[in-house]
Amino acid sequence: MKKTAIIALGFFLLAFVAGQAPAQAADSIDIGHPACLSGKYAKAGEQAVGGIKACVDWVNNEYGGVSLKGKKVPLKYTYYDCESNKESVTSLIGRLVTVDKVDVVFAPYSSGLTLRGAPVTEARGMLYMDHGGANNKIFQQGFRYVVQTIGPASSYHRGTLDMIHKIDPKAKRVALAYEDSEFAKMVMEGAEEHAKELGFEIVFKRTYPKGVTDMTPLLSAMKASRPDFVLGGGHFEDGQLFNRQMADLDIDTNAFSLIAAATLPAFYDALEYMAEGVMGPSHWEYGVKYSEQAAKSAGTTWIGPSQDEFVALFKKAAGKDMVPDYHAAEAGAQVLAYALAVEKAGSVASDKVRKALGDLQFMSFYGGWDVDDSGLQIGHTMVDVQWQDGERIIVWPESAQTGKVCYPMPTFAEKAKGKVAVP
Amino acid sequence: MVFEQLTGNLFQGLVLGAVYGMATMGLSLIFGVLKVVNVGHGAFVMVGAFITFWLFSALGVNPIFAIPVAFVIGLGLGLFFYYTVIQRLIKAPELATLLATFSIGVLLQEVVKLIFGSEFRGYNWTVGKIDLGLTVLPVSKLLASLGSVGIAVLLYIWFNRTRAGSAMRSVVEDSEGARVCGVNVGAAYAWSFALGIGLTVTSGVLLTMFIPVGINPYMGGGYTLKAFVIAVLGGLSSPYGAFFGGLVFGLIENGSYTLFALLPGVEPFALTRFLSFLILLIILLIRPTGLLTRK
Repeated sequence: MKKTAIIALGFFLLAFVAGQAPAQAADSIDIGHPACLSGKYAKAGEQAVGGIKACVDWVNNEYGGVSLKGKKVPLKYTYYDCESNKESVTSLIGRLVTVDKVDVVFAPYSSGLTLRGAPVTEARGMLYMDHGGANNKIFQQGFRYVVQTIGPASSYHRGTLDMIHKIDPKAKRVALAYEDSEFAKMVMEGAEEHAKELGFEIVFKRTYPKGVTDMTPLLSAMKASRPDFVLGGGHFEDGQLFNRQMADLDIDTNAFSLIAAATLPAFYDALEYMAEGVMGPSHWEYGVKYSEQAAKSAGTTWIGPSQDEFVALFKKAAGKDMVPDYHAAEAGAQVLAYALAVEKAGSVASDKVRKALGDLQFMSFYGGWDVDDSGLQIGHTMVDVQWQDGERIIVWPESAQTGKVCYPMPTFAEKAKGKVAVP
Repeated sequence: MVFEQLTGNLFQGLVLGAVYGMATMGLSLIFGVLKVVNVGHGAFVMVGAFITFWLFSALGVNPIFAIPVAFVIGLGLGLFFYYTVIQRLIKAPELATLLATFSIGVLLQEVVKLIFGSEFRGYNWTVGKIDLGLTVLPVSKLLASLGSVGIAVLLYIWFNRTRAGSAMRSVVEDSEGARVCGVNVGAAYAWSFALGIGLTVTSGVLLTMFIPVGINPYMGGGYTLKAFVIAVLGGLSSPYGAFFGGLVFGLIENGSYTLFALLPGVEPFALTRFLSFLILLIILLIRPTGLLTRK
């Protein structure tokens, strides 16, 4: 009995001493992620996981780990398939926080799923980093722990409008035709506001429903409004239909930019010559000119792999010859932002890292990074790409250009005869 | 300007309506003969779309030649699903056939997804355009519409001028009476289901000739919804009524857009859908058997 009491006292004292010892850095900093590996966002989700793995690899092996309390600590990435399903997102975040005890949660792809998970992390005081939810409304709910890396939806067409304003001062008439969805509405509200600031006239503004199978009546009305250029779209499928039926009805404009659809290779595969000259805003494209030198010139911090190193790390992470797109780049850049913020905060506590993220400004292969008080991304500039002879060319901003814009784009009749959109 | 747009849209609506009508005839035929509501209708349309896409993209086959291929594959699928599933449930409560056809639809979607993946695909078959002044009409759309009319006429002739067609009509009228008169009702059921599925798969070819993009394993959902509206409009058990319903639906969908666009502050597309379903509701209330079905 006496012996048992002495052993118990010994354990108690050991536990007490351990509790009094100075805080040590953990063996790893844990990132949790309900990833969309199946379901409707599977493609974007696969890219995001590849991008995160690539940058975790870079931080651990090239950067040497995150400097924390005098120690280099590696990142550990844990993810589960949320099946692009809202209910799974909330339950998986619960598991990541309570069972896996992660230090930060990376949101799943899409605004809807990001928004679904935000109250769960918020209630637990857990940092929630958003790489795939562009909707500004996420940052109008008063969440304290949500921080965005992807650019906000309202900024998607700013570059397109700035470009046309610069290269064709005579172009005044803009048509906006877009999907009746939260995301597309937010994009077009931002576009309308900026168009008016630049002195453009909105001559046509209509929506079409999700799952639309024939846009002929809307496009006939749009044609009658005689726009100089058209901004539109919503998702991939309606973007394909939009372009196809513009061609069917011979609706020729100086420029035509579609969100979501036009930047994807499958768009050109399906439409071929009809897609020549069509533009689309993108968060990132291979070929952008962000580098350590560019960061120095801009007077900001550079972190992360170069563009080519990122592509190589991504292919290694994916285990196949897959090319990263902007979904991968924005997810990877988020890892770099988190690593820098932890170093700056000297802690993995969500409160401290959130504050550090608020003060953080840097450049990586993805471009600039800076957030406002609400967590909304304000430092990242989108690029505009244009299909030119079957290739995606970055045409705006001028600092990131890989080629000049073809403006006005060829007419559909010219394109049918083989003319390509090369300036 | 409004008149020009309205006329142009009505013409486009008529051309599209013929394809919609054709895409609904199979649904009406199956319900008329077997009293089975094919909830998986859209999945068979999708199969037709993928047959066209694959033949064109992989083998360079003109979509017009995909029509007989799709019809034969549709007949085969129809006979297969009839003898493996539907025949066993023909006397079961309606819910059983509803669930069975729903399951067949999901099965087809997943099989196609396994083969082709879930991406939205498209193909590019261009055979010129006709400028009608009020609107521009691609020849591929015109061919799809004429093909739909041609198939509807062939079906009419087959129903009215052949013994097999007469047998099917007799089963629609009174299956017990037909049996007493010596009609092989079981065979009529099997071939009606197969013909209905054959027509539906063929309509997938015609729909992609009209809209050759957005081809995806889950593309059928929207067409199922439209097919039900059209079928009720024309008469759920009448294939010709369905064809007529398709024309009316196409005209309503395209024509009303121009008129609703005149109203300030409204989104015309939302109202065209509202109008379609309002008309459906009114017809169900005042003439539940459909416009072209005898009471």
